[in-house]
Amino acid sequence: MAKNIKKALKDFWYGKPHTAEEGGRRLGELYEDKTGLLKHREWRGVKDTFYYMYMIWGYNYVHMITDILKYSNNPIDFVKGTWRYRWMGQTYLPVIHWFERGLQGMRGEALAASAWHYRAMVSASIQQICNFFNADTRLHGGKENQAYKTSIYANETTCGTMFYPWMDAGYRYIPMEMIPYFVTCHVNSHTVLNYIDAVQSIGLPGDPCPMCQAEAGIFVLDDVPDSAPFTITCNEACDASVSTSTLQDWFFDKPLFSLPMPMQFDDPLVKKYCMKEIEECWKFIEKQTGVPFNWDSMVKRLERQNKLQRDEWEKWEVAGKTDYYPINGVAQALFRIFSTQYGIQGDFWEEASEKVKKIMYKCVEKKINPFPKTRHRVIAWSCAPLYFSNWCTWAYNCWGLNCIINMDSLMFNMEIRTDSYENMLEDLAQYHMWAPMRRMAVGGMHHIFELWEYMEKFNCDMVAMYDQLQCKGMQGVHGLFEDEFRKRNIKAFWMPHALPDCRTVSRAEIRRQINDYMTTVMHEEPLDPSLLDFDDSMTW
Amino acid sequence: MCKIGKFFLKFLGIFFAANALLFVVFFFDLDGKLMFNVVEPFLKKHYDNMPRRDRLQEPYDMDKFPKY
Repeated sequence: MAKNIKKALKDFWYGKPHTAEEGGRRLGELYEDKTGLLKHREWRGVKDTFYYMYMIWGYNYVHMITDILKYSNNPIDFVKGTWRYRWMGQTYLPVIHWFERGLQGMRGEALAASAWHYRAMVSASIQQICNFFNADTRLHGGKENQAYKTSIYANETTCGTMFYPWMDAGYRYIPMEMIPYFVTCHVNSHTVLNYIDAVQSIGLPGDPCPMCQAEAGIFVLDDVPDSAPFTITCNEACDASVSTSTLQDWFFDKPLFSLPMPMQFDDPLVKKYCMKEIEECWKFIEKQTGVPFNWDSMVKRLERQNKLQRDEWEKWEVAGKTDYYPINGVAQALFRIFSTQYGIQGDFWEEASEKVKKIMYKCVEKKINPFPKTRHRVIAWSCAPLYFSNWCTWAYNCWGLNCIINMDSLMFNMEIRTDSYENMLEDLAQYHMWAPMRRMAVGGMHHIFELWEYMEKFNCDMVAMYDQLQCKGMQGVHGLFEDEFRKRNIKAFWMPHALPDCRTVSRAEIRRQINDYMTTVMHEEPLDPSLLDFDDSMTW
Repeated sequence: MCKIGKFFLKFLGIFFAANALLFVVFFFDLDGKLMFNVVEPFLKKHYDNMPRRDRLQEPYDMDKFPKY
């Protein structure tokens, strides 16, 4: 009896322990059937529960409102936009649940540090949403206001860095699909299905990459705000996106510059070609805006971007060589891909990075291991399932698989020189060619096998190999990886998925594949058996 | 009890009641349940029924280029 009371008090104060043997927390039992909603949130102990309640849940609700007030010219436009655009209303209201999925089971420093990455992403998203709505002619009776005239639309994989030269003059880069497509898939995976179905309903085949389909579908459903007088498109990571650009040209019907993203980027002649294309793009922007390229504006922001990159190297050093890195897999991947694509358009990335570094050095100094139940250090490779980007949180809680680093974080692994125009242009061309999903995936050529080098650098003993079923490029190298895994005796599991489309491979199926690998190949027992199998087919 | 003391007690009472209410919403995921069961279905219905332009009716003038 006294022992039970003592355990109950300990559980109340510190939260229940992780593993089944220790009388664990059984996180899987917190879910309602199918919806993935929580019967109740996890009791993480007094300190972490109240930290979560005030500093994550409450703090982010409040800051979502203050961010709207900060970035919106008129908050009424925000309400009007929410009513007008499905990707806005259906997606961004449940954003706190997105935190919940990514941070489940986290405690102490891991909880605090990972949440700062989420905070920065939410802030950047609200800034983009406000940029859309401040300028949208549909929300302003067809008027082309000052915000409209100073907005630059571009495809989401055209990096924000490209547009720094016009930012001192008050111009903003709005990635056309980053909010309506990319971020929505993570927050509420239901929304994007409307856009995929829309593009197939006009007769396009269903087998190309669903990312290209969804991005075109937003235009088919007339759900792209009219917020800029011209646009820059590109072929993204794969050539299915060329068709997306064609549809965008049709439906956008405004001046458009198509900026190519070369496939075989190791060729120096291709790089020269790419540099010329970037300069052509800049000439196009100069013509459209009447504002010349501003070197100082470019350098100012590049310096900040480079500092952010150096911060990341600092963090990776700790992640690779110690057990004290406090960021979980999903917070690491999303922060990095989002910040490198959107670029420096506010101070949210730098603020979050500083806060995370502070927590990280506390872990180093006090020798705190934020993921104490780690059994395997995992590197995730290729393109991740957007609707289940939080799989790493689940995998750590269920199996002790700690995703240390991933391909998405490593793609833009470089600084851009600012000592001369020529050097800057050369590096920017490299940066542009190392686009998301391009450098080490489709078109990556020899770079796909940089996996082995990074595996060693980050001291990982297992590979989570994403298997995007509709990506023709990566399907083509499936066998090469299989051969190399065998030859090198590397522990690796495959994760089939269809990028944004949760109907093709469900989350439960992805979990089943990992469970099978862990039991039949690794012969391991789950840390938390309640997470092995549950139905969340209707969840966001 | 002096007026300041009464005010202080009242303030404390309201503060703790508000926090307790907030905790109930937080702990039982009532915000998530509201969004999932009420707000999202309502908005979905609205977006599904919204009149939209039929973009396929718009000509794609491949041989006509804007003035740029």
